[in-house]
Amino acid sequence: MVSLGSPIAEGAEAKVYNVKLMGIDAVIKRRESKPYRERQLDLQLRSDRTKSEARITGMASSLGVNAPSVLLVDTYDIYMSRVNGIGMGRLIGGSGVKARLLETVGIYLGLLHNAGIAHGDYTPANIMVGPSGAPSVIDFGLSEITHSTESKAIDLLLMKRSLSARQYASFAAGYRRSCREAAAVLARLKEIETRGRYKTRTLVAKG
Amino acid sequence: MAVLGIESSAHTFGAGVTERGKILANCKSMYKIGGTGMIPMKVADFHARNARKVIQDAITKSCICEGDIEAIGYTKGPGLGPCLRVGQLSAKTLADSVGAPLFPVNHCIGHIEITRQSFGMKDPLVLYVSGGNSQILAIAEEPFRHYKVYGETLDIGVGNMLDNFARAAGLVPAWGSKVAEVAKGGSYIRMPYTVKGMDFAFTGILTHSIKALSGSGVSDVAYSLQETSFAMLCEATERALMLSGKMELLACGGVAQSSRLKAMLGAMARAHGVRFGAAPDEFNADNGAMIAVVAEEMLRSGSEPEPPAIDQRSRPDAVRITW
Repeated sequence: MVSLGSPIAEGAEAKVYNVKLMGIDAVIKRRESKPYRERQLDLQLRSDRTKSEARITGMASSLGVNAPSVLLVDTYDIYMSRVNGIGMGRLIGGSGVKARLLETVGIYLGLLHNAGIAHGDYTPANIMVGPSGAPSVIDFGLSEITHSTESKAIDLLLMKRSLSARQYASFAAGYRRSCREAAAVLARLKEIETRGRYKTRTLVAKG
Repeated sequence: MAVLGIESSAHTFGAGVTERGKILANCKSMYKIGGTGMIPMKVADFHARNARKVIQDAITKSCICEGDIEAIGYTKGPGLGPCLRVGQLSAKTLADSVGAPLFPVNHCIGHIEITRQSFGMKDPLVLYVSGGNSQILAIAEEPFRHYKVYGETLDIGVGNMLDNFARAAGLVPAWGSKVAEVAKGGSYIRMPYTVKGMDFAFTGILTHSIKALSGSGVSDVAYSLQETSFAMLCEATERALMLSGKMELLACGGVAQSSRLKAMLGAMARAHGVRFGAAPDEFNADNGAMIAVVAEEMLRSGSEPEPPAIDQRSRPDAVRITW
């Protein structure tokens, strides 16, 4: 096994390391064992999630969504092409985010939803903006193949919570353009927002 | 000068007394839950019969007289309506007779604050797990100072789930500690696992476990159910910990009495260099002292007394934290 150095990103369930694979700049996303988890459950969760994430990341690329290319999959490791750029989360505060960019981010989500993919964590932190200003969607670790309108509406809700009203309008316009069931998903989003639990949470999320 | 707190949201009627944060008394009487679970009106009758004695015990035990009571807190909610009403009425009656201000207290905030204070924590991430509630919270300042909900159950509380399973499996008494006892020596069978970011859901695993009882030993099912549901809570909490960057973690509520859950959370916290604490069982179970703790904080921080209402669905993130 190659020495990986320190991770470039660390989530609750995986770490991401920079590597070179056959001369290509790549990353490894590795799901590490959790000391607190029952051993069999631990192995099962990590391998199931690795398989699912690799599969959905590959699907996204074939749908025309800018996403990392999956190079190699091992039991708990995914080797992917490295996406250069900075997280959109660090851009949205300033004036640096163009309506066009947000629209593309909306179009991408619509394409994913058309194929039955709910991203599961569609937040600005998981949109990488490249040097040319083109966005890429990363981290399909919580994604699932689903018919659930609710899961799709949650994707919209997560993005909406992080954007200003104006930014969200551009994003939603893109989404409406690409997503066949946009009307149903947007209606569900409206319904979710009127539920008690989300009212307060939406209110405070930007704080 | 002391503060008296009354808790009556579910099966426990409790009265506690605090003075400058120090707990002088914590008395309670608990309704014995039979095979049918809790019928709110019956539990409320039980509380009404015991209220006077429990409150009197707390006053006697803390060596204060009624005239020393500076303020009275009672559980506003969340909880069972008829039960909450008994606590509210007891508090009101006492407040009128001693002339003390009345503070409605959110039950969840009670659990959090008594634990936070006992560990001297400043700004912890909180996993609050009980029968009816399961939430991950931490203080946020905007739009006002409050406990923001990072994640929570999308259907039922984890304790409720364990109790339901225990009842279906014919365990007596039908609650979580019995499930833990039966789980000893079990081996793992596959269970559904539902975590969505920092939220989680328990009805899927409950249905699956009840069905699994017909084909597998109760010990194996109990073991797998407990391990899986606690792992879900740990994963969601770990994600919230990383997102919030908090350096303290506390667990509170009835299910935080589980030694397995505490061990798992402790191991997870250690891996992140985060300090972990869970209250002694006496305060994780429902109790009056925690209501007194919050009422005293409200009093000392100059909280405006509110109309003495109850709210069965009172949410912790709607409460203004004035201390």
